[in-house]
Amino acid sequence: MKIVILNKTKNELKVRIDGEGHTFCNVVQKALLKDKRVELAGYDIPHPLTSSPIIYLRTKERSNPVKTLRDATRDVLKDTDAFKAALKKALKEWKSTA
Amino acid sequence: MNIQIIKKNDISLRLLIEDTNAAFMNTLRRIVTSEVPSMAIDDVVIIENSSTLQDDFLAHRVGLVPLKTDLDTYNLPEDCTCKSEFGCNLCRVSLALEAETEDHTITVYSSHFKSENPVVVPVSDRIPIAKLAPSQKIRLEAYARLGKGKDHARWQPVSMCAYKYLPIVIVNTKLCDLCGDCIKICPKNILTKAGDKIEIRNVLDCTLCQDCIDACKKNPKALEVSWNENSFIFEIESTGVLTPERILKGALSILEGKLKEFLDQLVVK
Repeated sequence: MKIVILNKTKNELKVRIDGEGHTFCNVVQKALLKDKRVELAGYDIPHPLTSSPIIYLRTKERSNPVKTLRDATRDVLKDTDAFKAALKKALKEWKSTA
Repeated sequence: MNIQIIKKNDISLRLLIEDTNAAFMNTLRRIVTSEVPSMAIDDVVIIENSSTLQDDFLAHRVGLVPLKTDLDTYNLPEDCTCKSEFGCNLCRVSLALEAETEDHTITVYSSHFKSENPVVVPVSDRIPIAKLAPSQKIRLEAYARLGKGKDHARWQPVSMCAYKYLPIVIVNTKLCDLCGDCIKICPKNILTKAGDKIEIRNVLDCTLCQDCIDACKKNPKALEVSWNENSFIFEIESTGVLTPERILKGALSILEGKLKEFLDQLVVK
């Protein structure tokens, strides 16, 4: 993974993520859309044979877009941790009943 | 997030996952099918092949044999410290196949493989590779390595990985006249007649096909099929190379790695 910042203003951010695809961008986009500070968030894969999607983000009231994107990523990270913990618990319960 | 195991055995795992979203489920599914590494034969050196199968055809069949994988010992060739095109003991396993017959026809099975590592062996001994007629012979050396499903399907650790929304089926007892059409049409036999009402059993099997709604002659319809958008039934069916829970844990750590790398590179200035 390599990040290239294409454009950055006070409330906009455009980043290219080399080496990723829908797998990574879709969760991040959906996490961004849950954030109330976000006005617009989307991603595009300019060519289907290249794996370099571009995430575009526009925030409201000039909140820092980089910070918003970091927060969204952290939210997904939290989901991952929650999933891990829940899976561990479920496997433990299954073991004790079997 | 809350997870409940519905079904679990050596090769398959069915989970009920509550309080999550479709984007997360889909990412997990995509990582399971295309980014969790597994072992498969990549290079084949054919020393002798007098069977009716051409060398490339035979190599293709050999490559598709799923091998039991040890993710903790082996490295992906691109991440391995050896940096060698041919690989080393930490990123490559060699398997030899030798079969010949003198006077009768035989079938060469995956059990004929002799692996240098007794852990990395075909998942089943009964996978047919080729048939040999009298006096035919196959001798080859195969090199297995870790790989990802996105490079070739032979490295996909699962035969199936899918999720669906948690179905909700409600029968309106006031409108229902017990004609039984919905019971007959349901492909998963979810509905049954119990006394003077229609009961729903094993609702988790519902495929949301809505045939029962089409079959209901009442207007408005006496049943309602919907789904919970935050709960999912997630199912993994492994090919046997790894246990399903190991695949899922692997997928989670890959996702975690991606997110952490992204956070490391994206800095607020």
